[in-house]
Amino acid sequence: MIKIPTKVLIVDDEKDFVEMFSLRLQETGERVFTAYNGKECLDILEGEDIDVVVLDIKMPGMDGIEVLREIKKRHPIVEVILLTGHGAIETAVTGMKLGAFDYLLKPADAREMAKKLEGARKRKDEQEDRIRKAEARTLLRRGGNI
Amino acid sequence: MTQTRLLLVDDENHFRSPLKKRLQKRGFMVFEAGDGNECQALMQQEAVDVVVLDVKMPGMSGIEVLAWIREQFQKTEVILLTGHACAADGVEGIKNGAFDYLTKPVEFDHLVQKINQALEKRQREEEKKQEADFKARMEQQMVATERLASLGTLSTGIAHEIDNPLAIIRECTEFMRLLLGKTEDAVFPRKKDFENAVGKIETAIERARRITHQLLGFVRQPETVFSETDLKALISETIEFVKKEAQNKKVEIVQDLDKAGGKIWSDAYAIRQVLINLITNALAAVTSGDIITVSVRETDLLAEIRVEDTGSGIPKENLEKIFEPFFTTKPPGKGTGLGLYVTAGIMERLGGKIDVTSRVGQGTVFTISLPRTRKACSLMGDNKDICLDILNTIKGDQPND
Repeated sequence: MIKIPTKVLIVDDEKDFVEMFSLRLQETGERVFTAYNGKECLDILEGEDIDVVVLDIKMPGMDGIEVLREIKKRHPIVEVILLTGHGAIETAVTGMKLGAFDYLLKPADAREMAKKLEGARKRKDEQEDRIRKAEARTLLRRGGNI
Repeated sequence: MTQTRLLLVDDENHFRSPLKKRLQKRGFMVFEAGDGNECQALMQQEAVDVVVLDVKMPGMSGIEVLAWIREQFQKTEVILLTGHACAADGVEGIKNGAFDYLTKPVEFDHLVQKINQALEKRQREEEKKQEADFKARMEQQMVATERLASLGTLSTGIAHEIDNPLAIIRECTEFMRLLLGKTEDAVFPRKKDFENAVGKIETAIERARRITHQLLGFVRQPETVFSETDLKALISETIEFVKKEAQNKKVEIVQDLDKAGGKIWSDAYAIRQVLINLITNALAAVTSGDIITVSVRETDLLAEIRVEDTGSGIPKENLEKIFEPFFTTKPPGKGTGLGLYVTAGIMERLGGKIDVTSRVGQGTVFTISLPRTRKACSLMGDNKDICLDILNTIKGDQPND
């Protein structure tokens, strides 16, 4: 069975982390994009059709929550998984309220991460499916009117 | 108000006795002494507020007695009686710390007035001292709080900083695992050794992560929330929680809760955490057939919970160290050494105390005492959380503020 790669965008200011994480995801067959800050992340989202963003909350400059807000405003369909430190559960909750798919405590377990990525991808697919169907319905209705 | 205690020191009996009677009529409690030595002996027996002291006496002079009183009893005020217009004696006395002097023959009302003035002065000084003590205590407490806060900030900072590289190391090992899994054994002859090494790194990461999380957990404890807490139910519930582990070890946990009264004013969540820590510790110290007893005793002010085990006991040299952070006798990687440190911290927040007695080979008893009521909370000392709780209650009671 051929796996359809998930397009993952990793956003974290820790370069080594981003590098290793993306290597590993590529190895498991995903398509990986990387960004080291919020601005880069938003730029990539403009050009690429990303499925899931893995977003670190604590970053210099624009922090994860701000980036999340921007993502949800500009690309509401893109799913976001937050990476947070242990003491920042409140921030994670804020993130969930803003529409993040889920959050993981750093250092995150690989199996858990894989599970969440899969879940996020699935939700996005379903969402897209619904949108397609809704569009089809409107088209049909319009067609009937003619 | 308690009766004012006076001491009359004069060698002339016919002067002393009537004065004593008249002062008693005014409500004073009066002691007498005929000379300096008697005065000294009496003052060592009885607490005296004000001494009315004749300067001219055989043996020890009034001035000498005054010097002695100043040295031994700083709080006692002295009024000197000088004879025959010897103002110089009086002035000398004031220089040496007497409150004032009166010239004989003494006008009675004048003396009573002086005594009352001396008492007022004494009271003012007492208040001043109390105020100073209170201030010093507050300052001391502020320093302690600040130190704790900066320790907290420091450890959170360190924990966070360590979590980040840990995340990188973890990613690396996951990646190596992935690659190893895809490689044929034939291509990679020492694959097993590599896998073994990666496994060790993973265990070490997990260990470091546990420490950082516990540190962050200690710093970011949830705010203490005081409410009415049913101690009996809480203990039973907590024991239920650890029962399985006890059964696995073939250890019996006995509850002796008959002496527990009703409810106490405390934080149930925090007490549960303390109990779990203590019982888990006890479970680690016992072997098959041992018994762990959890009992409660209550007094007017305190509720005392004892967690007693018949396990291996704690050697004397370790007993002082068990509450220190990172002290552990478990093999590396098994315990973080933060359990009792955190427990003691919680007890302090609750305004309580934790004590331990232990004998090697016989077992260990941990006793925690908790204030039972809000009033008892306030008596237990100057604890920030408790002060806040009381403050909130006061605010709640008086909405008009």
